[in-house]
Amino acid sequence: MRMLLVEDEMKVSELVARALRAERYAVDVAADGPSGWEMADAFNYDLIILDLMLPGFSGAELLRRIRRKNQQVPILILTARDATVEKVANFEAGADDYLTKPFAFAELVMRVKVLLRRGPITRASVLRVADLEIDRLTQQVKRAGRRIELTPKEYALLEYLATNPGRVFSRTMIIEHVWDQSFEGLTNIVDVYVRHLRSKIDDPFPAKLIRTVRGVGYGLGQSADG
Amino acid sequence: MNTRSLGFRLVAWYAGVLTAVFVLLGVLTIFFLQRYLEANFLDTQARRARQIAGTLISSTSRAEEGALPGEVEKLYSPEASDRFIRITRADGRVVYVSGLPKDERYDPAQVPPASAGEHTRKVRLPENSLLIAAITAAGADGTPYVVEVGASGAGTDATLARVLLMLATGLPIAVCVAVAGGFVLVRRSLAPVARMAATAEAITQHNLGERLPEVDSGDELERLAVSLNLMISRLEAAIDGSKQFVADASHELRTPLTVMRGELESLAQDGQLPGEAREALGSVLEEVLRLAEIVEGLFALSRLDAGEAHAPWQRFDLGELAATTAGQMSLLAEDKHVSVACESHPGVIVEGDRARLKQVIVNLLDNAIKYTPGGGHVSLSVKREGGCAILEVADDGIGIPAEALPHVFKRFYRVDGSRTRAQGGAGLGLSIVESICTAHAARVEVSSVPGNGSTFRMLAPLAGEPLVNA
Repeated sequence: MRMLLVEDEMKVSELVARALRAERYAVDVAADGPSGWEMADAFNYDLIILDLMLPGFSGAELLRRIRRKNQQVPILILTARDATVEKVANFEAGADDYLTKPFAFAELVMRVKVLLRRGPITRASVLRVADLEIDRLTQQVKRAGRRIELTPKEYALLEYLATNPGRVFSRTMIIEHVWDQSFEGLTNIVDVYVRHLRSKIDDPFPAKLIRTVRGVGYGLGQSADG
Repeated sequence: MNTRSLGFRLVAWYAGVLTAVFVLLGVLTIFFLQRYLEANFLDTQARRARQIAGTLISSTSRAEEGALPGEVEKLYSPEASDRFIRITRADGRVVYVSGLPKDERYDPAQVPPASAGEHTRKVRLPENSLLIAAITAAGADGTPYVVEVGASGAGTDATLARVLLMLATGLPIAVCVAVAGGFVLVRRSLAPVARMAATAEAITQHNLGERLPEVDSGDELERLAVSLNLMISRLEAAIDGSKQFVADASHELRTPLTVMRGELESLAQDGQLPGEAREALGSVLEEVLRLAEIVEGLFALSRLDAGEAHAPWQRFDLGELAATTAGQMSLLAEDKHVSVACESHPGVIVEGDRARLKQVIVNLLDNAIKYTPGGGHVSLSVKREGGCAILEVADDGIGIPAEALPHVFKRFYRVDGSRTRAQGGAGLGLSIVESICTAHAARVEVSSVPGNGSTFRMLAPLAGEPLVNA
């Protein structure tokens, strides 16, 4: 999988490239509109990540040029402004997804995977993490064969964490998936729910499954990094 | 009537000056008219006296003076024409005096004797005044006689009285008419000022682009309008500048925040890190996230301020939204052992950006839960009242001191030490609530009794009905 990253902020582009390379993607980097267009025109990328504010010409202009040539390639927009109008305009111009700075890198990787249709959405009806079993059809949860009763929100939270075991999810990601954007900034609600979930999933068992990475978020199961 | 108003003072001055001028004019008129009338009258009397002297005295010697009364009576019949005639010899002996006049207005016997020489005088008698002209004439043998001719001054006095009456009745009427005219004039000339004031009052921070009407009249009013407009322009530029600054600053802050967050996150997930370093990293990350939240909030506020195009508005049941939101947040309250009661009347339909109005409820509830100690109660209610949709969030928590109440919606305002960073949050939640309300033509109010709790009320227009400004 090869992708193009057009971002003029050197440090941001280094970080994004590093995060994506860690996922074993090949990443080409361009730092302005014209060179981005040159590369997008020359190669067939599987995915293009665009910053909106670029020297030369803007990311929006680059987006239009790429779309005129190639209707298929998924495009993810990075931006420092998240005005709804602009967002709508860019979706209309052909963007597939939109990420506002400062974003969690875990989230960027997730979005990239979704766009490449290799996303974290496991189709399996039963998710397994260690001895935890989640039946997505009956919404029943078992650990070590014992049934555990969860409230609908606790279940939604657990299922979301279980879609990608080992990965750490930021509170913002959890809020956006389990609640909605009105709860942005209300990250302590996630802490409260995780605590309740822990008391049901982990407390009765010696091995703890829910992991906290302070300042980053929560994950289920062993760290993917080791 | 406001006695300190410019209009009243102008008219009062105007009426005062006008009255003074009228009174002065009246006094002068009466004075000069009286002098003129009396001089004229005396002139006639003097002519008659000279006539008597010429025809009778000059041809009469001292020995013949006994015939004078008969001659005078025959020629002039003074009683019949109400005239006073007296001829006195120089040694003081009265040769002739006319009798009681026909109208009996005065008694000729009471008129004091005249001195020699030609002169005129006004004699005041008890019932009347007499205007008398006197001359000295020599008889045929050289005997000097004083001839006095006079008549009642009643005629001139009556004329003067009539003029005085005219002035006395005319003056108040003229002043009244002038004052009424003055009021109309003042009101008309001050009307543009009232219009300017009304327009200026209607200009708030949300329609600073509007200007006062400038009439090209070249006078003080035009200058006033022009200078007020210049002031509004400067104000607009200053406010625009600060809004642009907030927008630019929050935008510029995002890139470094992205880098910091990215670097720290990848470090924090490194399992090899010693526990202490991991703790420190986590703490720094939390602050970075808080910083990001503040930037986010500022950016959201500057967008709301700029009145940016919003998501399409829809009609929805505010009570239902409140109940759902309260349900979603109940665990947050339970965790603090605070109970949340939701009471909503169905059918309170409002129009707006559902997600934003939900944020209002979330922020108000979050605030209430945050500042209510364990065991406390928070109540959320939605009802319609006086044509408004009313959403109320009340708690029995620590409350807000009276002096802090006017400031709670200000950005970054924190009540005191007990509400500081330990409670979390960026200090922008209530500002965002207010801005969202303003964007929805709604109002938000707060009342509080320290120690007994606070109540926040949002008054929003019902769908299809304008907000009644109670």
